[in-house]
Amino acid sequence: MSMEIVNKTFTCIVCPRGCTVTAACRGDEITAVTGNTCAKGEAYVRQELTAPQRTIATSVRVTGGQAPLCSVRTAQPVPKARIFDVIRAIHSVTLQAPVQQGEVVLENVLGLSSNVIATKDVDAIK
Amino acid sequence: MKQYDVIVIGGGVVGSAVARELTRYRLRIAVLEKESDVCTQTSGRNTGMLHGGFLYKTGSLKAECCVEGNAEFDTVARELDVPFRRTGKLIVGFTPEHRERLERFKARGEANGVKGLEIIDRARMNEIDPSAGGNFAMYCPSSGILDPFQYTIALAENAVKNGAEYHLYTEVTGAETAPGGHILHTSRGEYAARWVINCAGLNSAKISAMLGIPGHTLRGFKGQYFVLDKKAGAFAKIPVYPAPNANNTFDTHATPTVDGNVLVGPDSEVTEDFADYETTQRSMDGLIESGSRMFSHMKREYIIRSFAGIRPKRIDPETGEVLDFALECRPDVPGVINLVGIESPGLTSALPLARRVAAMLAARETLAPNPDFDPVRRGIKRFSEQSAEEQERMIAQDPNYGEIVCRCECVTQAEILQAIHNPLGVHTVNGIKCRTRASMGRCQGGYCETRITALLRSELGEEITQVELGPSGSQMFTGPVREGGNAE
Amino acid sequence: MNEAMVLQRDAVVIGGGPAGLAAAIRLREKGIESVLVLERERTAGGILRQCIHDGFGLTRFGESLSGPEYAERFVSRAAELGIEVRTDCTVLHVSGEHTVTAVCPAGLFRVRAKAVVLAMGCRERTRGALAIPGSRPAGIYTAGVAQSYINLQNVMVGREVVILGSGDIGLIMARRLTLEGAHVVGVFEVQPYPSGLARNIQQCLNDYDIPLYLSHTVVDVHGRGRVTGVTVAECDAAFRPIAGTEREYPCDTLVLSVGLIPENELSLGAGVELDPRTKGALVDENCQTGIPGIFAAGNVLHVHDLVDFVSLEAEALAEAAASYIRDGALAPCPLAVETDGSIGHVIPQRVSGTKSFTLWLRVRKPLPGCRICVRQNGRLLAQKSLPKALPAEMIQLRISVEELDQEHSVEVTTE
Repeated sequence: MSMEIVNKTFTCIVCPRGCTVTAACRGDEITAVTGNTCAKGEAYVRQELTAPQRTIATSVRVTGGQAPLCSVRTAQPVPKARIFDVIRAIHSVTLQAPVQQGEVVLENVLGLSSNVIATKDVDAIK
Repeated sequence: MKQYDVIVIGGGVVGSAVARELTRYRLRIAVLEKESDVCTQTSGRNTGMLHGGFLYKTGSLKAECCVEGNAEFDTVARELDVPFRRTGKLIVGFTPEHRERLERFKARGEANGVKGLEIIDRARMNEIDPSAGGNFAMYCPSSGILDPFQYTIALAENAVKNGAEYHLYTEVTGAETAPGGHILHTSRGEYAARWVINCAGLNSAKISAMLGIPGHTLRGFKGQYFVLDKKAGAFAKIPVYPAPNANNTFDTHATPTVDGNVLVGPDSEVTEDFADYETTQRSMDGLIESGSRMFSHMKREYIIRSFAGIRPKRIDPETGEVLDFALECRPDVPGVINLVGIESPGLTSALPLARRVAAMLAARETLAPNPDFDPVRRGIKRFSEQSAEEQERMIAQDPNYGEIVCRCECVTQAEILQAIHNPLGVHTVNGIKCRTRASMGRCQGGYCETRITALLRSELGEEITQVELGPSGSQMFTGPVREGGNAE
Repeated sequence: MNEAMVLQRDAVVIGGGPAGLAAAIRLREKGIESVLVLERERTAGGILRQCIHDGFGLTRFGESLSGPEYAERFVSRAAELGIEVRTDCTVLHVSGEHTVTAVCPAGLFRVRAKAVVLAMGCRERTRGALAIPGSRPAGIYTAGVAQSYINLQNVMVGREVVILGSGDIGLIMARRLTLEGAHVVGVFEVQPYPSGLARNIQQCLNDYDIPLYLSHTVVDVHGRGRVTGVTVAECDAAFRPIAGTEREYPCDTLVLSVGLIPENELSLGAGVELDPRTKGALVDENCQTGIPGIFAAGNVLHVHDLVDFVSLEAEALAEAAASYIRDGALAPCPLAVETDGSIGHVIPQRVSGTKSFTLWLRVRKPLPGCRICVRQNGRLLAQKSLPKALPAEMIQLRISVEELDQEHSVEVTTE
């Protein structure tokens, strides 16, 4: 018995274009992807259908610094379903100034294969 | 329990004028103000006019005090460092009926002692202000515009300088007579005084009853306003009002403020709730319509803010007629001086009323003069109004003058810091705004508010949750985003 | 202040954000030695310092960077080149004769420059300007101010949040507030379509089940001390609230994302003429305003969606400004760029016809499947077909000098 084709539509979030991309799915199989302007759009939709993931940006507390917070982000995307777990893990971190942009604030957060990195410098209070 | 010679209830322009005048004498004075600052209610919600005095019934207290207060205001403004301009005022008309009304008010004004009133034609109007509408006008050269916040704050600061105490967040909830005077129950404990002076504005009838003088009826008339950008202000040189109505009130008008903005309004509707300052769509639509008739530069894009005030009108409960100011010291209620229904021209009349209060006191006990009384008060010097040379000098003395906090109104960090450390101990964001002009510009605090709240916290050691906008319960923040360390 | 105390520079750049820094760097790279950047904050980087989300630099660097990282690329490059960036300096006045007056903790100073680059960015439209009725309690914030409190000051603005306006800043803040434990009740947008990018609707709202209500607006604010709630109504096609559709939404915070206004007070002070459609300066293909030698780029010229394009625009400005500084003038630009009613605005508004230029524009309303056409005298110079054109997304077309004549105005239309 052949299954019906179901069209699933997504807004691709990879770049600001936000193409509307449609995947034609027969069960678990993706038979066609249309509407994307580039290959990243197709990759996004395939990912979204199997294991949606997101990058997260937030901040961590800094002590002894010229600013009370340092902005951070995940260097790699993490599973969308784990966003709030990751947020909780990041928010439990407090850094001591100085902090350097790019330094790893949390390595391999929750074993999800993404580091959390600082996205700005925070100098120490002199 | 704190004991005083005189307690003034209400820190608005009337209460603060009374306190200031009474500091000319050796008296222990306290002002009890229920809000977080002075000038938050009627005193801070008006057109900022120094009225001429032609509107009011001849022989009334309104007429007498208005003309007296008007005449002395150049001196008062200088002494207290209050922004003020004696601009004159045009009251314009289009029809013969308007003309007739203007003639009547001119006659009344003259009977009241107002000087220089003229009925003028279009040609003369064009010399004074070509953008004013109308075919003819009454010109009142003695009218002026002032900053009501700076005036009230100046009176209060001068009172404090001369020894009066201000107790903020202190609402009078009950009163009882006691040997030698009264005991006042408040939200912050009990206060005792020989004399109690009721300057409670919108609450003056309620307080009057508490003090043993029931029978005054106040009706609240809410008026809404738009504030227009200073770009509109460039076109508004002098207050231009429409001919007064049959009931001696003015419809919507457009008035330049002493800082260069334009106020459009107020309209008028009765309100039962004396704390209902909510602006309404209906009113705002009406203001746009009638404002556009009075002022050709009333454009939506110039609107930067809207607000409301409530006029505390004392009325005859049978007829609804609006009555004169009540200023009384009743023999059957000793130790109380009662001021009820001080609406417009309240700003103009404040010091004249205060002197009459002092006279009532002096008639009943010997008042020793205060030898240290100094009528002069200096406000916060405005960097933006100084010459380049003076600005250089100010920065050299205090580098905080070199940091601009409010870019729309060009207010420096030095001024903000002085405002934070003000003599009344006010610590709200609105308090800083009224003392410096910060946040009053077109971006409405978009740039400066984050800086002002940060300075309030660092200067006063406030917790994040303690930062208040102004009104009761106006916490701005819920706490730090992230705990840990000292959340500075 | 006497003449001896006036600094002289080849170029003064007002604003050390992405536009100002990119312009300064390119000026130096083109051999202009004395460039001074004046920045009013303690550190350079502009609004990017508080935009901690990623998505910046995809075009420019091929990476998805956060705002601070994008800014740092330019701040470091400027430092590398030894460009003088004075922070804590607020410009008070710019004269039409290129004299800039500024104030800083060390004092007042003036700079006269051959070229002045306006890069002051923009400000947010306020509740007051919208005349939203109701009370004026604590708890009303424009989105950028809320972002500054949360990301820079470690201050949380509220717990139950209604957002008015679906512009990108509002959408970003919907997500940010949610990640910091607030509950975003909903995003209300007066237009029948979102103002922000579709990707932000997805990753900021849909991902977090935050409802978006189109054709709705806030008609009343409640609460005397702190916000206690708002009244929201549906709107008709003319954006007027429809009586009878009012609903109450309890909340303690109202965040406004209702428009950005280029911050041109200094420009007006210099006598620069503005375009009422952009609220930014009228400029030619060199980003030169009506005053020779005064240039503008970035959000102060027209509000951008992507900082990558701000950098491009500022660099193009710098190329032209460098020529101006060396030659004393640029080719006159007498040809007007005209649009039909479907186009919201276009930059530049005048061209010379003697060189290639980039046209930036926005459509007034969403247009499915359209073609942007650029013509002179009926002759097609360039066109761009789009499956969908949205006001939220700025469109660019490159117009080549080979196609241009020097006689006719340039017409931009949609078909």
